[in-house]
Amino acid sequence: MSHGIDESQSTSQTEFGRVKALLERMGETLEDGEVPMQILNDDAVHQLELERIFGQTWVYVGHESEVPEPGDYRQRTIGEDPFIFVRGEDGDFRVLFNSCRHRGANVCRAEKGNTSHFRCPYHGWTYKNTGDLVGVPQKAAGFDHLDAEERGLHEAPHVEEYNGLVFACVAPEVEPLEEFLGGATWFLDMYFDLIDMEVIGDPHRWEVENDWKTPTENFYGDNYHIPMGHKSAIDAGVGSDTATGEKESNLYGIADCDGHGFSFYQIESEEDSYWGHPPEVVETFNHDALDDDQHEVARKSGVTLGTIFPNLSFIFLGGRDDPEKDSVGTFLLRKWEPRGAGKMEVVNWILAPKDASDEYKERVYEVGMSNFSPSGNFEVDDVGIWYGIDEAAGSVFARQNDDVNTLFTMGRGENPAATVYDEWVGPGTAYLEGGMTDENQLDFYRTWHEAMTSDGGM
Amino acid sequence: MSESVSNPTLRAECEEFLYHAAELLDDRKLTEWHDLVTEDIDYRVPIRTTRERSNTTEFSDTSFHMKEDWGTLEVRTERMQSDFAWSEDPPSRTRRHVSNVRIVDDDGEEVTLKNNLLIFRQQGDETDPDILSMERHDTLRRTDEGFKIAERRVLLDHTIIPTNTLSIIL
Ligand code: FES
Ligand SMILES: [Fe+2]
Repeated sequence: MSHGIDESQSTSQTEFGRVKALLERMGETLEDGEVPMQILNDDAVHQLELERIFGQTWVYVGHESEVPEPGDYRQRTIGEDPFIFVRGEDGDFRVLFNSCRHRGANVCRAEKGNTSHFRCPYHGWTYKNTGDLVGVPQKAAGFDHLDAEERGLHEAPHVEEYNGLVFACVAPEVEPLEEFLGGATWFLDMYFDLIDMEVIGDPHRWEVENDWKTPTENFYGDNYHIPMGHKSAIDAGVGSDTATGEKESNLYGIADCDGHGFSFYQIESEEDSYWGHPPEVVETFNHDALDDDQHEVARKSGVTLGTIFPNLSFIFLGGRDDPEKDSVGTFLLRKWEPRGAGKMEVVNWILAPKDASDEYKERVYEVGMSNFSPSGNFEVDDVGIWYGIDEAAGSVFARQNDDVNTLFTMGRGENPAATVYDEWVGPGTAYLEGGMTDENQLDFYRTWHEAMTSDGGM
Repeated sequence: MSESVSNPTLRAECEEFLYHAAELLDDRKLTEWHDLVTEDIDYRVPIRTTRERSNTTEFSDTSFHMKEDWGTLEVRTERMQSDFAWSEDPPSRTRRHVSNVRIVDDDGEEVTLKNNLLIFRQQGDETDPDILSMERHDTLRRTDEGFKIAERRVLLDHTIIPTNTLSIIL
């Protein structure tokens, strides 16, 4: 029925026009530090961000320690698309599209494993773990015309690794990873070059009824929510030693850092902090990997957190899971995966210094899990304070009223507590009293908006 | 295995204990529930992954949704009852359905058993419940105050947890 097709085309055109107008309006509201709330739950916005953000930019797929041996693989998604993160028999990382070149079935059905080949269950086409097509049943009888070299599994055209973190980009053209990371490398070096990190076990995965942008904006540096949102955990004496008040700290919010955002709790003391790692663990670090300025920031770090655009966040904290036990340094890496408008899957990895003792790594895991995971004493209240954002954002009211915006104007008054810290030694602009500014969080929406309004050459 | 394994009286006793513990959790009597665990409790909820059939286990031995001892369970149960535990205020409405209790062993001091648990969970105006399904491998120790949970291994039927938060005890 051609009528139906015309109708759906015109609907999608109207939708596109609506989103275009919404993004235009957002261009203006951003200057005033406001963001239209409806972008947090809107099907058309969601579709467009899959294409213009997840289809265009570098996206994290996994850590090298998750696939240590040739043939090791993990299923991962880029946006909502299915990929296999695999270390080929040649030792190289690849990010293969999990879909048979014949009729599209998944060639890999397990979440993880080790294999020399992926064999499609439908007709039996077989691919090496490098993606090469090496087996087609009855090829001579039916597929003598087929050039196997042209029919290997599709793969992300760009796969690069930075200090063990593997990223992929599915667009034909993209800047080199290091250029994309920009100033973020200064921070990443502090974790992944100073320390040889490894992922412990398998990541937590859970489904949350909130848009992926809600935790992302939070991890760009919403330090304002901590006393209220996490009061139950802080009162219980768990979490970071800076949050419980066990240790005094200065908080720096880093804005203007090539589209990424960071926060630092610095413990100004002669005593080494290194995120709560004890001296015998600190001894195993690669202290020469950092310049003196970076090293001093690392030494004084109580908690550091941040987000690499679009959806990779981390929190590195010195803290505990029980007030009766000693603090350890635990590192959590999380990916906020879009799963339809207003919904996400959280993937959460816990990392520990590779050269630490097994007992210590176990404690790192316990403290990480206990604070940040589906059952985390901090994390559950994060999700608990976001209830209803999806509902309000998806409402007719939000669409009909231009002033249903979320607010990022903290620190824009006459006498803001947050001030630019001129002696900052790293990239970007540092705000002292960094919990009192929204500039770092606005960077997320500025970067998001820029990506959403450029057609990426399409 | 001792003779008591097929002892219906023992099974009934264990069932009664499990029902009581489930009722305390459903009624949000978390401190009273915590009193039912031994001081050396080992409580684990390992992460499950989708594996090929040929794999011997789908459960991780290094990564967990919960890995608790007496102290961390005390932290959790106290925190969940705080006026600032936003994930549980308003609280979840939960109903724990305990079934298929199978006695594995009884050495006189401790009974090991398996049971199935289905948790219905709803919050606020939700009409679609979150359903959590699992098998529990429990060790119940006989004490002066009756049975206590000395060990619990929760084997989830989920790889991706289908609920916003695990701010409830399994
Ligand atoms: S779809 Fe894979 S072999 Fe046919
Ligand atoms: Fe938080």
